[in-house]
Amino acid sequence: MRDNKLKYILVLPAIIVVFATAVWPLIESLRLSFTVGRLTKPNFPQGYLGWENYTWAFMEEPAFWNSVEVTVLYTLITVILTTLIALGLAMLLAPGGRLRGGVQTLLILPFAMSPALIGVSFRFMFNPEFGLFDAFFGVVIPPLAEISWLSDPTLAFVVCVMADVWGWIPFLTLVLIGGLASIPQDTIEAAQVDGASSWRVFKDITLPQLVPVLAVVLILKAIFSLKTFDQIYMLTNGGPGTATQTLSHYIYFSGMKYGQIGYSASVAWVMVIPMILLTFLYARYVFQKR
Amino acid sequence: MAQVLLKNITKRWGDFVGVDNQSLAVADKEFLVLLGPSGCGKTTTMRMIAGLEEPTSGEIWIGDHVVNDDLPKDRDVAMVFQNYGLYPHMTIYDNIAYPLKVRGTPKADIKPRVEKAAEQVELTEFLHRKPKALSGGQRQRVALARAIVRTPKVFLMDEPLSNLDAKLRVTMRAELKHLSRQLQITTVYVTHDQIEAMTLADRVAVMEKGVIRQLGTPDEIYNDPSNLFVAGFIGSPAMNLINGSVKDGYFITTGGTRLVKVDGGDRAKVILGVRAEDVDIHESGQGDIDVLVYAYENTGESVMLTLQFGKQRIIAKGDRHLRKDMDDVVGLRVNPDHLYLFDSETEERIRY
Repeated sequence: MRDNKLKYILVLPAIIVVFATAVWPLIESLRLSFTVGRLTKPNFPQGYLGWENYTWAFMEEPAFWNSVEVTVLYTLITVILTTLIALGLAMLLAPGGRLRGGVQTLLILPFAMSPALIGVSFRFMFNPEFGLFDAFFGVVIPPLAEISWLSDPTLAFVVCVMADVWGWIPFLTLVLIGGLASIPQDTIEAAQVDGASSWRVFKDITLPQLVPVLAVVLILKAIFSLKTFDQIYMLTNGGPGTATQTLSHYIYFSGMKYGQIGYSASVAWVMVIPMILLTFLYARYVFQKR
Repeated sequence: MAQVLLKNITKRWGDFVGVDNQSLAVADKEFLVLLGPSGCGKTTTMRMIAGLEEPTSGEIWIGDHVVNDDLPKDRDVAMVFQNYGLYPHMTIYDNIAYPLKVRGTPKADIKPRVEKAAEQVELTEFLHRKPKALSGGQRQRVALARAIVRTPKVFLMDEPLSNLDAKLRVTMRAELKHLSRQLQITTVYVTHDQIEAMTLADRVAVMEKGVIRQLGTPDEIYNDPSNLFVAGFIGSPAMNLINGSVKDGYFITTGGTRLVKVDGGDRAKVILGVRAEDVDIHESGQGDIDVLVYAYENTGESVMLTLQFGKQRIIAKGDRHLRKDMDDVVGLRVNPDHLYLFDSETEERIRY
């Protein structure tokens, strides 16, 4: 057999698996999003509705817009906060930075924890009866002792953001350390001798050369923030009320709890659009020829 | 305009001593070359002058200030890096303009100065390009232009020609020399290439293992080496160094061959240094001793003969028309006027 035929046969199993687990469900969910799709009624998916699921979400459903708002806010804040903190840490931990060695190993620890576990631990830590944070704040700033963090809509959102930022900093820091290490040291030294202050060296020399890595970090974190589900599910379950209900949480609830598969598929497809855009951008930065 | 002064400078990393308690004065407008093999501390010495490395102890003076506590940006020096250190995301124009920009030069002044610097190194037509689009020699010139765009107190050059191919290196060397005569700015230049050191320097400091072994004009370094290391390091091919002793006014090799007349009394353990061009080759029987040709190399401009007697080998430089073959017998005579004797123990020069 000629090599150029053999190569297609060799990749065929992988292609079949990707089709079965990613492409087909995607197409099937698109089909379902145009159906009534009630799990609780006979003859699933009960015929086609056209665009009605979509217009319902956009026109008639405040819960949808609430979850969009939560997701956008959540994504913006976590992406910016995580990247900034990770960049600061990376500057300290990079070769030639001020901290190094054992600290780097310690840093990876939060990333080794599953998001669901992070959700559970944060729920315990903010528990008003026996939570670590509550005890801590109670001692340091006594007025905060009385606050029940997870039952206040704004504070619950803050706790969700905190947990997410905490969990993601390590990985992004490591990626940025790698990015910093790849910047030629002599460009930085040249700038120092040329007369640049440390801030200007960072702004004029380090940051512009870090842009490709930074772009990857931002896009990657945006993708992960957008699809956040497990951590929220374990930490607040979208509550109190719907204060921390992200889109993926909303999709899960509409589909799995209320059995509205058709409707939840249509909302999922609303989310697919920014995801595809981000994935496309990501692929462009990662696979671009430099 | 400034002199550079190092007073008892030491640089240590843990147990490793990079530079060991060295002092050095570079005069105003002088072109001083730090020469030595890799790891000898020459680059470290320069980086301490630039402020990129902190001395463990000692004082660094630029002009009439101690600069130990000054950041690189406050030392008013310009540096050319071995890998050029160009800013890859900036155009050539912005690269050259950067030292002016960060030092708050008025915008109206920047353009003419960048253009003048670019003209001096013949880069005018490349100003809008990025470093990636330039050849090695052109990048080298950008680094140079970025250094000369200001008038710093001191130029620091860290092996600036070492990444260029051999031919370009010779051209750039001449350009560098011309430029430095024009600019008249104190320069410290680091290299491991003795030809660069000999041709460019007003004075050369030869370094080994963190110590300056000799400081002098290229002439002194070549013709009057003060120790075995400098004698062996300077010159190509390297100086012949022969172990032996002095007895009854003659140098006797350890193999027992009476080689050449040497004044100054008997000495037990010495090393005789003689340069290849001071070893004369004659027809067999017409020299002081007869030797075998071990290897014959014709470089075009001259011929190199590796000669063997007993276990001793010696390299001689002969006329370019000389033709010999392996195992030929030739006469050898060492020119007694250009000999160097070194103490085998201390490796210091014995002057007689």
